[in-house]
Amino acid sequence: MTAQTHLPKIIPYGDHAMLVDWSSSEFSEAINDTVHALAAKLRQSGKYREIVPGYDSLVCVFDLAARTGDTTKRHIEDILKQNLSGKAEVGQIVEIPVHYAGENGPDMERICAASKLSVDDVIASHSGETYRVCMMGFIPGFTFLSPAPKALHHPRLETPRAKVPAGSVGIANWQTGIYGLESPGGWQIIGRTPLSIFDSNRETPFLLNAGDRVRFIPQ
Amino acid sequence: MTLTVLHSGTQTLIMDAGRPGHRHQGIPGGGAADKLSFAIANHLVGNRWDTPALECALGGLHIRFEKDHVIALSGAQMWSQNQGLNLPLNKAVPVEAGDILTMSFTRAGCRAYLAIAGGIEAEPFMGSVSTYMPAKLGGLDGEALKTGAVLRIGPKQDDPQSLPKGHTPILSNHVVLRAQQGPEWDALSDSAKCYLFTTPFYATAATDRMGTRLKGDQLTLETPVNMTSSPLLPGSLQVPPDGQPILALVDGHCTGGYARALQVIQADLWLLGQIAPGAAVSFRRSLAEDAMVVLRHKNSFYADLISGFSF
Repeated sequence: MTAQTHLPKIIPYGDHAMLVDWSSSEFSEAINDTVHALAAKLRQSGKYREIVPGYDSLVCVFDLAARTGDTTKRHIEDILKQNLSGKAEVGQIVEIPVHYAGENGPDMERICAASKLSVDDVIASHSGETYRVCMMGFIPGFTFLSPAPKALHHPRLETPRAKVPAGSVGIANWQTGIYGLESPGGWQIIGRTPLSIFDSNRETPFLLNAGDRVRFIPQ
Repeated sequence: MTLTVLHSGTQTLIMDAGRPGHRHQGIPGGGAADKLSFAIANHLVGNRWDTPALECALGGLHIRFEKDHVIALSGAQMWSQNQGLNLPLNKAVPVEAGDILTMSFTRAGCRAYLAIAGGIEAEPFMGSVSTYMPAKLGGLDGEALKTGAVLRIGPKQDDPQSLPKGHTPILSNHVVLRAQQGPEWDALSDSAKCYLFTTPFYATAATDRMGTRLKGDQLTLETPVNMTSSPLLPGSLQVPPDGQPILALVDGHCTGGYARALQVIQADLWLLGQIAPGAAVSFRRSLAEDAMVVLRHKNSFYADLISGFSF
């Protein structure tokens, strides 16, 4: 990794958290690497209540009774002065079987119409990439991946669905991702994996972690 | 040692101090929505402050004790009776085998905490028995208590305690939260910046442990905010394009995509659990240097009383 990243803003997020924000206009692998390398260092220090990485930002929650925002900001700046690029751990590569289109992908036709591609072309395009797991959230197991191929980019649904089944694979603007649990949602759903991304009864509840790589295998 | 749920109420959940430290996996810390009242209830019955107890939202819980116990109620002012006799708030009281406790409706606040000496026994997930319904974690099968459920009570820990005068939290149906600027504060219009700290909002019926949609003066954005999904915390007030803000609560989503206008200060986060649908919610500006003083003062106020508890 040789790409350089610009310096982020480090600003208070209320009285008990700091936001580190690169606010890049488009997705940058180098920035996401730096986010995760910083997250790992902050977590190692054991000084914080929560370290929450995003695509191009990170939130660090501290106990205001134990340390101040300024101390936290200095700690973050010190870590960023070290050369973090290239130090992000690349996780496991996980193959995710996906049943594309049909009842598993109710929005496939919309993506085809917008991209002027056939169903097979969309499947080939979407499953032709190796994606990185950029962040997890907003509910357990929701997997935010690196950008989908440009032809597939599409805005969210105008009216979100009340229920999106667990395992659904979707597109929202340039983002693509997997619903870990059944939840309401507005992403364009093009397929569904039978794998459980999150299962609280499994020894390792999470199938994926930030930093992992994902390949979709059409079924 | 058990108790039986005769009527489950609006929403009664097994709660402890939650499972903090997992927001990066999409799991909110959760736990008792009002940690102060929860800690006080446990303290009164001689439990460690983070012992599992029942969180009863808006009332309706009826239970029968199958053995003699010591119990305490804290939090929302909920009309509660044991065997038809009114129960005081914030006081340890003995109950006998066969007694029936009824918790009816709240006069102020939203959630009452029922602690039982020995605590509720349940299967932990990631170190906590707290119920998190969206992912069906903790509690009994990850759900709210159902009528007919039988709960196991653990062994007694310590003798009951009392609460010194002045330590009782005062709850009201007008919840005033001290807050500081959130990361996207600058995206708000001047009028929105002014409204946020001067006019009250109302918690709509869309209020649960994840968040509360507020209604009030229209908050407009000076610049449209087109955010990539970004981390979100409990106590964050988000302003979506429709101008009606959403306050993230204890089980709130770990990421969001709307402007984060305000953040409630650490010392006031416990109050988020007492916002009932229909309550008025106001924000007061907190200055950076004040927040730490307020927090330290509040921590030291309860430190000698409730071992291990802090805001």
